[in-house]
Amino acid sequence: MRWLALIWKSLLRSRRRTLLIVGSLVLSVFTVAVLQSLLTTLDSITDNPNSGSRLAVRHKSGITQMLPRSYETYLRQQPEVETVCALQWFGGYYQDPRNFFANFASDETTIFQTFREEFGLSSITEAQIKEYLRDGAGCIVGESLALKNGWKVGDVVPLTGTIFPINPRLTIRLIFKSSRPSDENVMHFHYKVLEEGVPRMKGLTGAFWVRVHRPEDIPRLIDRVDRHYANSAYETLTETESAFNLAFVKMLGNISAIIQGITIAVVLAILIVTANTMGTAIRERGSEIAVFRAMGFSASRVLSLLLAEGVLLVGLGAALGIFLAQAAAGAVRSALGAVMPFFADFEITSATALLCLAGALVVGLLSTFIPAYAATRRPITEGLRSVG
Amino acid sequence: MNANAFDLGEGAPIITLRGIAKSYWRETLEIPVLQGIDLEIPSGAFVALMGPSGSGKTTLLNLVAGIDRPTGGTLEVCGHELNDLDDDELAAWRNAHVGFIFQNYNLVPVLTAFENVELPLLLTGLGRRARRERVAEALDLVNLTDKQWNYPRQLSGGQEQRVAIARAIVTDPDLLVADEPTGALDAKNAEEVLGLMSRLNTEMGKTIVMVTHDPKAAHQARHQIHLEKGVLDRAVEVNR
Repeated sequence: MRWLALIWKSLLRSRRRTLLIVGSLVLSVFTVAVLQSLLTTLDSITDNPNSGSRLAVRHKSGITQMLPRSYETYLRQQPEVETVCALQWFGGYYQDPRNFFANFASDETTIFQTFREEFGLSSITEAQIKEYLRDGAGCIVGESLALKNGWKVGDVVPLTGTIFPINPRLTIRLIFKSSRPSDENVMHFHYKVLEEGVPRMKGLTGAFWVRVHRPEDIPRLIDRVDRHYANSAYETLTETESAFNLAFVKMLGNISAIIQGITIAVVLAILIVTANTMGTAIRERGSEIAVFRAMGFSASRVLSLLLAEGVLLVGLGAALGIFLAQAAAGAVRSALGAVMPFFADFEITSATALLCLAGALVVGLLSTFIPAYAATRRPITEGLRSVG
Repeated sequence: MNANAFDLGEGAPIITLRGIAKSYWRETLEIPVLQGIDLEIPSGAFVALMGPSGSGKTTLLNLVAGIDRPTGGTLEVCGHELNDLDDDELAAWRNAHVGFIFQNYNLVPVLTAFENVELPLLLTGLGRRARRERVAEALDLVNLTDKQWNYPRQLSGGQEQRVAIARAIVTDPDLLVADEPTGALDAKNAEEVLGLMSRLNTEMGKTIVMVTHDPKAAHQARHQIHLEKGVLDRAVEVNR
């Protein structure tokens, strides 16, 4: 018999209790891992490394209000601006409403320059771009989206509009590959498809995406654009891409505070449950601990054995919880990645997994230490008397 | 009567108690349990500690076994002044020199008979193979080789106590202490266990100090020491 075998066998003393405590740990770690990963994913929306040079210009009243496309001329004239791209969320689906994914009507002439990092321009040839520009009913799609639907260049994709009353049939002219999975679950098509199909959208757009030459020019440009359109019929709110995305996320409420609150509650609950269970388990073994010490096991060695039991128990629960969370993250990516592109990046990062494991180990140590310390400091003779 | 006058046979003492006192405190009230115990027990003795409940016999046994500390006096057991040892040293000393036999066997329920016997050896630094050999010898001595993979719940009371005896002797200690070793056994099993202890004493030279209420059990010992209200009352040599 080895020490680990002794610890393991002691853990299985009450299988039902061990199973229940591991089960509760699995559930807790799973919940915390998923919630923390959700938080990380949401943070990544506002923390896109490619967004430092881009601004979003939208209607001051909200993202559902339109701006005149003529604003583009003024924006282009600003010396800080490199490109301007009109972009409108189309909100269509392919064949079935469940096949929902991000699709936009966008200015085909500037989309590639404005979002050049997302399109992975180095893997796209000039000829492919020209082919897309040539075909007014053409579209471009990310590789993940194409793979999911079995699309290839030349396929015709019928889109059913949910916001706008048109169902465009679009021919795939380009499939792009990006560094982030979420950037590949996107379709863009020519802005004129929307303008020609929906008369009320003629000359209007939901937002302009502006790429600047130098990130340090952004504050000055924001101020100038918004002042220029102040008191007009279409006042603007210009903000960085991160701030724009944050506003989008904030529509869901203060997610971060909610998630952190739930995490703290779960950790406290599991700490109390584990402490109670370990306390009961150790108290029940008062006479056994006394026998161990009588045989020559020092108090510190018995304490180490009990702590190792606690750590092994929570380590097991945490590992299983993280494993299940990984599986769940994969399922979320498949189910929601196309609908909400940021979910395509949803994963239990190693940092989150380590955080959960470390947290669980701390819970294990804390919940075991107090009853174990008390048990090992109890006089041996007292422990032996509790035999009966 | 001075206990030093007790004739427990010849031979170098393995246990020497000088002026041993033990009191417990209940808040501010001191409850003396043992007072002025002077005693020498020679190596190879088989001593039964007897006396009415509350006479201090188990407390005396605990002191000799190093699982309790006196409030007064000195005790030297197996060549060590126990007063001088700190808790960790005392634990190591117990592992090397003392084997315990309890009334309720106190086997670990989740370990097999073999693993229970192996437990004290985990502290000795012996390799796995050497441990297995020692455990096999101990189980063979108590005639339980065929039950070595049984868990305590799969053993009778007598078999459990024999496993406990194997566990007590597996480290080859000089001293065996037994607290009511037959207290939970029927007559037949009690006789078997006592016979085994007797063999350990006569054939292997183990010094045994046993607390018992049972006159039959005490009769297996070579000497009986009677305590009365915390003091040594008399010593009797058992005639067989």
